[in-house]
Amino acid sequence: MTQPGTRAESSAVGDSPDLSPRLADIVGSHHVLSRPSELLVYNSDGLPGYRRQPRLAVFPGTREEAIAVVRLLAELQMPFVPRGAGTGLSGGALADDIVVVGLHRLKKIISVDVENRRAVVEPGVVNLKLNRHVAPQGLLYAPDPSSESACTIGGNVAENAGGPHCLKYGVTLNHVLGLTVILPSGQIVELGSKVGENDGYDLRGAFIGSEGCFGLALDITVKLTPKPQAVRTLLADFMSVNEAAQVTSAVIASGIVPAALEFMDGPTIRVVEDSIYAAGYPRDAEAILLVELDGLETGVVADLETVRRICNEGGARNVRVARDEAERMKLWQGRKKAFGAMGRLAPHLIVQDAVIPRTKLPEILERIHQISERYHVVVCNVFHAGDGNLHPNIAYSADDPAESERVHRAMKEIMQACIDAGGSITGEHGVGLDKMGYMESIFDEASLNAMCELRSVFDPERRSNPGKVVPVHSCREWQAIPAARRVDKEAPPLEAEPSRPVA
Amino acid sequence: MSTASVAGAVQESFASKTPLRIIGRGGWLEAGRPVRAERTLSLREESGVTSYVPADLTITVRAGTSLSEIAATAREQNQWLPLDPYGSPEGTIGATIATASAGPLSSNFGLARDLVLGLEFVNGRGEAVRAGGKVVKNVAGFDLSRLLTGSWGSLGAITEVTLRLYALPAVDRSFVINLNGPEKQITSLLRTLSTVPINPFAFQLVSASISRALGLSEEPIGIMRFGGTSAAVNAQAAALAQVASTHEIDLKAWPRLRELETGAHTSLRISSLPQRIVATASRILGDDVNGVYTSIDPRRGVIRVVVVPSDNADSSSELAAGVVQSDSSELVFEKLPAELWPIVSASVVSDFLSQRIKRAYDPHNILNPGILGDLN
Repeated sequence: MTQPGTRAESSAVGDSPDLSPRLADIVGSHHVLSRPSELLVYNSDGLPGYRRQPRLAVFPGTREEAIAVVRLLAELQMPFVPRGAGTGLSGGALADDIVVVGLHRLKKIISVDVENRRAVVEPGVVNLKLNRHVAPQGLLYAPDPSSESACTIGGNVAENAGGPHCLKYGVTLNHVLGLTVILPSGQIVELGSKVGENDGYDLRGAFIGSEGCFGLALDITVKLTPKPQAVRTLLADFMSVNEAAQVTSAVIASGIVPAALEFMDGPTIRVVEDSIYAAGYPRDAEAILLVELDGLETGVVADLETVRRICNEGGARNVRVARDEAERMKLWQGRKKAFGAMGRLAPHLIVQDAVIPRTKLPEILERIHQISERYHVVVCNVFHAGDGNLHPNIAYSADDPAESERVHRAMKEIMQACIDAGGSITGEHGVGLDKMGYMESIFDEASLNAMCELRSVFDPERRSNPGKVVPVHSCREWQAIPAARRVDKEAPPLEAEPSRPVA
Repeated sequence: MSTASVAGAVQESFASKTPLRIIGRGGWLEAGRPVRAERTLSLREESGVTSYVPADLTITVRAGTSLSEIAATAREQNQWLPLDPYGSPEGTIGATIATASAGPLSSNFGLARDLVLGLEFVNGRGEAVRAGGKVVKNVAGFDLSRLLTGSWGSLGAITEVTLRLYALPAVDRSFVINLNGPEKQITSLLRTLSTVPINPFAFQLVSASISRALGLSEEPIGIMRFGGTSAAVNAQAAALAQVASTHEIDLKAWPRLRELETGAHTSLRISSLPQRIVATASRILGDDVNGVYTSIDPRRGVIRVVVVPSDNADSSSELAAGVVQSDSSELVFEKLPAELWPIVSASVVSDFLSQRIKRAYDPHNILNPGILGDLN
């Protein structure tokens, strides 16, 4: 076996002139992009402002093509970045002068087993497409990231994606039973089990959330969930952020597990109401809570009354329950499209994803408010309150260096406050490049090294999505390699770039 | 004791390459697993609650804390850890997580791995490693807590675990479902049950040997548990009664069901697609063998077979020989007579990824060597 970091140096920095034609032999020349202008689309993910120009992008259309592409890259020792729909929010799918392997053409729903409530899908299947496909059978695929209309199941697996409804139903990890994976070496392995429960090390669990660093999934067996008998969605509005935060903590402490419990603050409400996604939220409120309860009719009705009472006692100005499915969908659309609506404020958006213990919500929201005032930035808070998973967002212009500086400093302070509260730096977006700088704030050297070791198990040459998730300098193995022979160089810190397109 | 002293003990063994057997309260020693160790590292004294903020519904405990201690602490706050592995409640949380043990509640609340938010372990070099965190949602870094869950102490000695708790239900009731009648009729009842608007906390189908041991019946029965508000529980009980003949029983049946296994020398699980299990359930339950307890979780798709010491000395080897690994099912051995392990259960960590993981985390193979089978 090749020793890590000993052979790939030529490919990481040098050229492989025959790569493009050889990839075109596999997938057809239409599906290999190498001109800088064509590659512009692939130079960022869902976080505008962060850009890296790939050298080349290849889009296999079948499982066999995907296997051949990965094996060719292995033969040539080329590093690469797997990519789904590119809707990620951590800079995880950025490829810095290396190859992008786009998987969105692998979009077959291979099988649906209604009786046993499971489906086998290719990685490029769009989350919402799977849901629409199984809906007539009274089933759904529970993880529902806000990008569900575009993001792929393969990308969801890479990020261990969540969404509003993971409060009750769990994240991607809880819904994937097994996978067929091609490792960066080109070897194909089965992880987990498609038919039952296996023992041995939980390689399935290790792979989910590995952010494209462990290889790529060729097929994914997912669990489907029966559609609940009853669903009720409640909107409560408040004249203070603190009251809404206290009510959130009170609902969780009551023991009710809502299907979703979402929080939007005043600035977010107003930007959504100004946009085409206007949901009829009260514009003058300082916070709203969107609470969804589902399950058996009798249980939902009882819980709805409890939640209504907690909201009223907690100072809610109005509590209204969606009367029908149309109204419910409208309330949800405003929430799910809030990130998009923020594009109205400024060209760039910085999104955070920290998680805090739920009892710390009032305290941390107050801290965020103080920090935003001190740096003269407008923070829009829209997040999964029930999980304590915050998304403070700041819209800004990266063309203004002074503003950029203030925004980034404010975000660092917010993150530090969440870490100090005993939280995590990311709940569902992943570390990618964006949060790599914080990894050493929450994990010590031995823990980071243990992650490096796990990565080397799946990808000893560290060619798949190099330079992401765990800072390479925290890997002892990397430290032992002479600097000149390192494949994955230390990535420079991710700084926003101006909105003008790069040449 | 502290993590530092566990780390110190492992460092010493690492230096001298002395294999260690890692134990909590020793409950799993009866599983007969072929561990080759010269010394024992007990985590038993490593016990107690590290932090518990009830309103967060999370708790952090040292690995040697027993499940009954966690239950008592949580109950004071009207909460519980819905993880009910078979065997004694005096077993430790560390062992429960290390063995990925779960019981009847898992089809509703998830397996051990679904309830673990983070953990701390000492790897085979004697280094303390933190995995996951203390919050309910977390994707920071690669998921080492999943990897350690179910690794049987072979990748690290778990020293601390953070778990998700739930509020105790206001009402918690259990019912026996009669399953007497021809096989066809029972199969049809089981299919009907999967379409009734109920969402039980637990549902087990048990053999006549278990019904008798629990003093509930002479025939195979179903046992179903509903929890929640009284309105929700009553509605489900009524919906169930419309399709099946039922009567209510005391909740104590559940701990007794789990503890029936104490002293068993063989226990194994066969899992497959849930409807495939349902289709064969009535036939499997009809086999009434003295000393063999069979239970089925139809929603999880698991058949559990347990052999307790009896006159049928050969039953475990017969049983083991009769169970064939196939593409349509998975077979997991939990306990076997020691002499049967090498014959019946091949290594479950012989694939190259598992071997690399073991070598990375335990380079001298000193942590429970052989417990999951041998490396190549």
